[in-house]
Amino acid sequence: MKIAITGGKGGTGKSTIATALAVELTKKYNTIIIDADVDCPNDHLILDIKREKIKDIFQPIPKINKEKCQKCGRCAEVCKEHAIVFIEGDYPVLIPEQCIGCSACMIACPHNAIEKDKKKIGTIYQGNYQNLKFLSAETEIGVEEESPVVNALKKEIKKKGKEFDFMIYDTSPGTHCNVISALQGTDLAICVSEPTPLGAHDLKLILELLKILKIPAKILLNKSDIGDKKLIKKIAREFKTEIIIEIPYSKKIIDSYSSGEAIKDQTIINLRKYLEENKK
Amino acid sequence: MKIITVLSGKGGTGKTTLSSNLAILLSKRKKIVVADCDADAPNLALALGLDEKDFFNWEKVETNEKAVLDEKKCIGCKKCYNVCNFGAVEWDNLKNQPIFNSLLCEGCGACQLVCPQNAIKLVKVKNGKIADTETPYGFRIFTGQLKVGSTGSGKIVSLIKEKAYLSAKQQQAEIMLLDSAAGVGCPVIASVQGSDFVVAVTEPTPSGLNDLKRALKTVEHFRIPCGVIINKYDLNKSFTKQTEDFFLKNNIPLLGKIKFDKRFVDSLVNMEPISIKSTKHRIIFEGIISNIEEQLSH
Repeated sequence: MKIAITGGKGGTGKSTIATALAVELTKKYNTIIIDADVDCPNDHLILDIKREKIKDIFQPIPKINKEKCQKCGRCAEVCKEHAIVFIEGDYPVLIPEQCIGCSACMIACPHNAIEKDKKKIGTIYQGNYQNLKFLSAETEIGVEEESPVVNALKKEIKKKGKEFDFMIYDTSPGTHCNVISALQGTDLAICVSEPTPLGAHDLKLILELLKILKIPAKILLNKSDIGDKKLIKKIAREFKTEIIIEIPYSKKIIDSYSSGEAIKDQTIINLRKYLEENKK
Repeated sequence: MKIITVLSGKGGTGKTTLSSNLAILLSKRKKIVVADCDADAPNLALALGLDEKDFFNWEKVETNEKAVLDEKKCIGCKKCYNVCNFGAVEWDNLKNQPIFNSLLCEGCGACQLVCPQNAIKLVKVKNGKIADTETPYGFRIFTGQLKVGSTGSGKIVSLIKEKAYLSAKQQQAEIMLLDSAAGVGCPVIASVQGSDFVVAVTEPTPSGLNDLKRALKTVEHFRIPCGVIINKYDLNKSFTKQTEDFFLKNNIPLLGKIKFDKRFVDSLVNMEPISIKSTKHRIIFEGIISNIEEQLSH
């Protein structure tokens, strides 16, 4: 079963829940945690896993061959990302940070003057915490297009070939491209939220996204006793879903989190039981 | 005019809380314009007491294109399928035709260029909306929202910034304050570009510091001066010390430290920045503003 831990808003406790749940599941099941927050992966820090690099992730990038280039500017014209700057009479100049690796310029060049080069956009890591397997990817600083990083990570999971009882996907905050790529193909999404207008607002967005992706969604309400729970209950009704677990604010959880270790709490055991009952 | 951007790397460290308090206090002494540059999950207006209905001029924007197929022209050569680097072209074996997955399509046009039959068109899509309004505190706020299931939040952020910038110029504002998204990806890069100063917020946890370092690298990449704030610093004093040592070693100015306080949560629930009612917090945030001003004068 593939379970996504997501939530829209940042800092609601996604990684805290994902790591704690994965550790709990490992006691009985073959489990892997996949840190798909390629922007800011933290699960290895919480679990104190020494990451081992598996490979670099590359994207194609154009390289202009000045011997063949006729300075026509067609490449700059087709580039939707404005990654190629062309001034009449000069060779086109590439801004590598802007390039998303689509290859449109290479196809469009009438003189075959653009060769395929590559740039590193991320790294894939593996590791383990006791019996729990761990896989993650991290984007290079300054890279805008992150979906290919998540997709490379997903390919790596497939390659592992091994059947896991549970696969826990920890996503980035927000609803943008790398979150979409991480969510696709999962069986259930647990949306970690908090009872504030901000938490509620962002929860609504992620629930809308999950509806579009046709992924069943449940809510886990963190810090449930500080704020206003009614805000989240209203959204749960609106989206015909439910709050499956509530975790009250606790100094103990904060302490174990801020010292960098997986939390142990009865609510996590309850979450494991919920998943066992609803396992695909 | 100076552009100040608030970011953090890790989510939930207190960007929006900080931005809302800085905004109301700054606006008392200077003409300012603020912009919520988190088009994924915009929250700044909420923290200032405004919800979607308080914005009257929502404008749909098209910053993206998507590929669509003219089935009659397609000969099933699969060139589009092979060229797509984003996994957005799936193959329908029965029809021997491509299926374009609009959730994954970047609108780059590679498939259109490679198609020998001219069977692929790019159409503009409305992938978000932007708006602005007057806050109860006497300054304008610009915001936007990525359409759920769309891509291109970075481009929407650029649009919000453009609009806010024009308005700020018109009003002869002295400061434009931007609240960025979490992470270090495209919306954050779009926020940071062109800023005069970055305020980075962190919390004393291994994740907070790790993500802050990534965010600071992004800022460095664009050669923008910055300062940092440690929020909830009392939750782990020894890690706060470690964080401060890192700043010292790397010559990053510490603009302020803020204690954890449940009243911050209450202020979010009540949709009113904490420094309106709490003098203690007003003084803390004013101290941060003085430190930012000092950095800006360098």
